[in-house]
Amino acid sequence: MTAMPTRVAHAIMVAPVQILLILVIGLPSLWVLWLSLHTTSFCQAPVFVGLANYATVLADPYFWHALVNTFVVVNVVVYVELIAALAMATLFASGVPFRRTMISIILAPYAVSEVVAVVIWKYMLEPDVGLISGLIALVGLPELAWTTDRWSALTLVSLLSIWLHLPFSFLILYSALLGVPKELYESAAIDGANAWHRFTRITVPILMPAILVALMFRYVFAFRLFAEVWLLTGGGPARQTEVLATYLYRHAFRYQEFGVASAIGWLMVVGTLLIAAVYLREMYKRMLTADA
Amino acid sequence: MRDGPANRAGKLAALALIAIWSGLPILIVVLSSFKPPREILAFPPKLLFSPTFETYRALIVRWPEFFDAVRNSLIVTTGATLLTVVATTLAGYVYARVRSRKLAASAFLMIVIRMVPPIVVTLPLFPVVNWLRLNDTHTVLILLYATFFVSLNTWIMKAFIDQIPIELEEAAIIDGAGVWQILRHVIVPLAAQGMIAASTFVLIFSWNEFLFAFIFTTTEAKTAPLILSEMVGAVDGVEWGVLFAAATLQLLPILIFVIAVQKYVIAGMTAGSLKG
Repeated sequence: MTAMPTRVAHAIMVAPVQILLILVIGLPSLWVLWLSLHTTSFCQAPVFVGLANYATVLADPYFWHALVNTFVVVNVVVYVELIAALAMATLFASGVPFRRTMISIILAPYAVSEVVAVVIWKYMLEPDVGLISGLIALVGLPELAWTTDRWSALTLVSLLSIWLHLPFSFLILYSALLGVPKELYESAAIDGANAWHRFTRITVPILMPAILVALMFRYVFAFRLFAEVWLLTGGGPARQTEVLATYLYRHAFRYQEFGVASAIGWLMVVGTLLIAAVYLREMYKRMLTADA
Repeated sequence: MRDGPANRAGKLAALALIAIWSGLPILIVVLSSFKPPREILAFPPKLLFSPTFETYRALIVRWPEFFDAVRNSLIVTTGATLLTVVATTLAGYVYARVRSRKLAASAFLMIVIRMVPPIVVTLPLFPVVNWLRLNDTHTVLILLYATFFVSLNTWIMKAFIDQIPIELEEAAIIDGAGVWQILRHVIVPLAAQGMIAASTFVLIFSWNEFLFAFIFTTTEAKTAPLILSEMVGAVDGVEWGVLFAAATLQLLPILIFVIAVQKYVIAGMTAGSLKG
């Protein structure tokens, strides 16, 4: 290939990524919007129904149930993770023994699939044999009735989710913290600032951009929560533990209500974009006004 | 800053807690898979036992389809990883070297598209995939897995290629090299680290993914996590020993991989999220 103009070559290089994104995510997302305004099922001609699917969803008490569950789980997961990750990152930045080994151990759950995580946690909570249920019994607390009780089940879902995703939050904050100059802390120590002051006056402000990015990403990803809930409870008992993604799945692939499911889907897209709005605006400014 | 003895003891205690939280659950499953079935349900758990492969033998006899599923997982993971790395190295090069308003706009759209929850696209794709007769194939999973990572990975590749001095390319141009030759002989060798960093994410995701496999495969292309989920939900009660054997086989290779490439995982995570 000698005579190919550079511009053409560049277009060819960008094409595979763009084609995949447009065909697999871009167009389908817009198509979901169209579907949400129609009633459709398999082998049926779609009929335009305006906002009727949205009205159906918003009038469904199970939708509100799923929304509340999602809201609670996402917020618990994201903030517990953030606090734990901040504490761990601060600990590690102050110098710890076995640093490399410890980071490998912290990273380990990142390699675990949702399914295996469910296996592990289900086993640890198995009455009479599990480590956690054993500990709970030893302390004399009532057992976590996650198969029958809504909030116990959602507690387990949250624990599992935190366990799987803590490595991500930790790594983002830890690598941001490594960039903080040591002298800052040393001069603060000389000025008599105690550990808590150093944390609130130096660490947190400097880490704020990283904290916001970690929060945004964790919100966006936690919002998609599906496998943990589906594999642990299937949304049951009696649809008590459904989250938005399992609610969508049920309506699409169990009830064949693609119009209704699309309405939920589009609501999820809009919800995600709202969560990410500040980050996206920042990106827009940086990418399209700064250097282009 | 030096630690006093009290401080040091506190740190060690904190580290022990962290290690128990992150590592112990995994260790329990892996160790239990080598216990004789009768000892798996003993409480308190036996720490000393003579390891056997009984559970693995039971797995082979009772769930032969698990091994087909592992093969499917290998094929899908390899396919998705190769597709992503090739596509995003090409794209990342252009985003690193060319400045134009159109490219900047498309890069921004890539970030927006990354926000779409995967389950949303299954709705319109489900009938299309059926119509193309792609359901229950490796191809559909490869395309889906790759697509959900091309945007992040293009970004990682761009970050790595940004650091390759442009003078190297200019020297190659003087020697008469074209775009493709520059890419092959200058960029690819120097961006190899970035390619590893980028490939780890899609590789881990494809090996572990549940949702798409659950929706788009039925018999032929089922992946390992799917068979595992069937074992968890088996009607005749959970057989923990067999389940632990399967979980260990699914988990251990990817765990070793993650620890081996942890440097790249960390580099990629920070390049992918903080810089864009």
